[in-house]
Amino acid sequence: MRSLVISILLISFAVIGNVFALNAVSLEREKLRKEEGISLVMPSAVARIAALEFKGIFADIIFSRAMTYYGGKLIRKEEMTGEEWDWIYKNMALATDLDNYFLDPYYFGAMNLSWGANKVKEANALLEKAVKYRDWDWTIPFYLGFNHFYFLQDNEKASFYLMESAKREISGSLIATLAARLAYQGRRTENAVIFLEEILKKTDDNTIRNSYEMRLNTLKGIFFLEKAVAVYQDRFKKQTEGLDELVAKGIITAIPKDPYGGKFYIDKDGSIKTTSEMR
Amino acid sequence: MIAIWSVASITFKEGIKNRVIFGIFIIALLLFAATTVVTTLFMRDIVKVAVDLSLSTVSFSGLLTLLFVGVNLFGKDLDKRTIYMVISRPISRSEYLIGKFFGLVMLSLTVVVFLGILSALPVIISKNFYYYSEARFNWLIFFLAVVYIFVKLAVVSSVITLFASLTSNSFIALVLSLVTYIIGQSTESVRLLLASQVEKIEVSPVVSYMVDAAYYIFPNFSAFDLKTQAAHGLSISPSYILWTGLYAVFYITVAVAIGTLAFRRREFP
Amino acid sequence: MAIISFDSIIKDYKTGFRKKKTALKDFSLGIHEGEVFGFLGPNGAGKSTAIKILLNLIFPTHGRAEILGKGVGDKGIRRFIGYLPENPYFYDYLNPLELLKFAGKTSGVDSMKIQERTEELLNTVGLWNERKRAIRNYSKGMVQRTGLALALIHDPKIVILDEPMTGLDPIGRRHVIDMILKLKSEGKTIFFSSHILQDIERVCDRIGILVNGVLVRVIDIKSEPLGKPLEDIFIEETEKAGRAKE
Repeated sequence: MRSLVISILLISFAVIGNVFALNAVSLEREKLRKEEGISLVMPSAVARIAALEFKGIFADIIFSRAMTYYGGKLIRKEEMTGEEWDWIYKNMALATDLDNYFLDPYYFGAMNLSWGANKVKEANALLEKAVKYRDWDWTIPFYLGFNHFYFLQDNEKASFYLMESAKREISGSLIATLAARLAYQGRRTENAVIFLEEILKKTDDNTIRNSYEMRLNTLKGIFFLEKAVAVYQDRFKKQTEGLDELVAKGIITAIPKDPYGGKFYIDKDGSIKTTSEMR
Repeated sequence: MIAIWSVASITFKEGIKNRVIFGIFIIALLLFAATTVVTTLFMRDIVKVAVDLSLSTVSFSGLLTLLFVGVNLFGKDLDKRTIYMVISRPISRSEYLIGKFFGLVMLSLTVVVFLGILSALPVIISKNFYYYSEARFNWLIFFLAVVYIFVKLAVVSSVITLFASLTSNSFIALVLSLVTYIIGQSTESVRLLLASQVEKIEVSPVVSYMVDAAYYIFPNFSAFDLKTQAAHGLSISPSYILWTGLYAVFYITVAVAIGTLAFRRREFP
Repeated sequence: MAIISFDSIIKDYKTGFRKKKTALKDFSLGIHEGEVFGFLGPNGAGKSTAIKILLNLIFPTHGRAEILGKGVGDKGIRRFIGYLPENPYFYDYLNPLELLKFAGKTSGVDSMKIQERTEELLNTVGLWNERKRAIRNYSKGMVQRTGLALALIHDPKIVILDEPMTGLDPIGRRHVIDMILKLKSEGKTIFFSSHILQDIERVCDRIGILVNGVLVRVIDIKSEPLGKPLEDIFIEETEKAGRAKE
């Protein structure tokens, strides 16, 4: 009887101690992780051999690990460094080397590297690989076309990828028209608005929709201001001094708000920009 | 024929009643349940992740069954001399070995059929949860991949049969079978690596001959791995099925035949 | 005409690199149809080796063993042999019904006959009530009795038993003796090894004494009365062989 009581006491003591210790361990692990930062990415050739027949699962794990890291940064509201973006890119490249058809890393990498990190080259490298393997998926050449058009201002390439996308798209949409319109110069903002509206139509994920809607609204604001500037120049035959001038002269009633919280301004080359840089 | 069939069925019965099988089934069911939870962490290619996980579960469970139950079925016969009750009957050593091989095949078939059907559940659930319009999935290819898991396990069974006939110790047979599985899974990737990076790294001809030799000696298990194809609904040509099927049959024939040659002169003191 | 014959058999075992042990030295013996032959000898004398050669479990280094006029390598003859190994071990997740079905099927018995024989044999060895329990839950004696049923399922002409009494209690031993006598009355040939002298003396027609792989003496109990206890003869022969070796 006594030994039973002692055993129970010992077990309860140990269980409580265990919970305390584990909590401390999680804190220590957290510190360790912060110091660790980003780890090395395994070379694809090695990973392909090491993964045996479980390449698909390996791809899933590598992708979700990078996504978790990125998500953690977002939650802590920390800026991603260039080095970290490189790490994200390498992970996405590895995940798609393990499973050439895996959409999520292509998509995640391409979207965040272009808009978030200004690493359009890397984003396009991923998308080009995706175009090759996911040869039925119209969205990939569509995004690639958009990147060429919007970030690289290469309308010829953009048009080429949009035509590819139009070929893959079954239901009728504006993609083919958009491809044709890109032949004209000087309608960058307007085309970008059409692009984004098209993307929004096909996106049902709410977080992604929100980010696109924000971009779209910003672009709409820029487009609205560009038109106003054109009217001003037409009417007064001179350059605008600033956006306030447009309101002062009664061309527009107010300067639209940037959903990203930045301020619109006229750059030296005369184009409309925002201080938030849509980030 | 009666001899082979009787040995196969008694091997199967002994294997299926083993408690380890029950444990493996429980693990597989837990993994299936985990699959449905894990898939929700992904963005678009959710069905792909579900297919990856559930097919890998089937394959892994089959492999565990063969390595821990299948090898042991040989091991007990040879270590504890259960084989006396078999070959003191009108059964030749070759018939014993072939029967034993088919017993392992029946065991793999049972595991694959049972778990293969269950593996569709997490896929159905995740498909209803979210199905991205540009994802591709096809049940035919999914179940073809399940059939190929069985084909792969049949080849593993033949390898186990071969090693059990060559070695006197079931632990050595287990280790050799496991090593063969690992090498067989990677020879294709290693060969591709050597072929693609010739300019970057200097590969001595000896190494590349050795890799080529390994490629032909060890079974190329990558050929039976259609999990990626199942995950993305990629089509598989009839000629692929024909040639991989023939490859499996030839490999099994060679392995079991060499096994019977070695076993024919084996003594059981 | 002998139903079982060993003809100048030598059996060497490898015990290490270039080392060997000779288990049987120029061993010759013929056993006649319908007789009960007891094989006597100290542990390690080579009794099991001789029996395993008959079942083709091991191969003689020299010489030839025959059963029913055919070499022991011919698997067809094993249909007529019932064999009980020393310390038998069976598939332990199965029950006797499954084991007997396997044994009967492979020995060419039809299903109806298997059912009939199974019930009869399991009743004789006293396992009928335990027939649905897996062997892994059996005691050593029960396993031994299962082995006996397995050896007899196909009503064999020749019954070869390797140490059938080991591990049995006196009642179990009595069962085995009764069974051997019953088989003998049915005209079967029985070849068994043992080191329990009284048992051998009671049931055997002839006794062979094997010492260090050499068959030192064969006694026909029926025609030549022993004159002194078998125990004395056995010890005498063993010691004689020991001296000869020195």
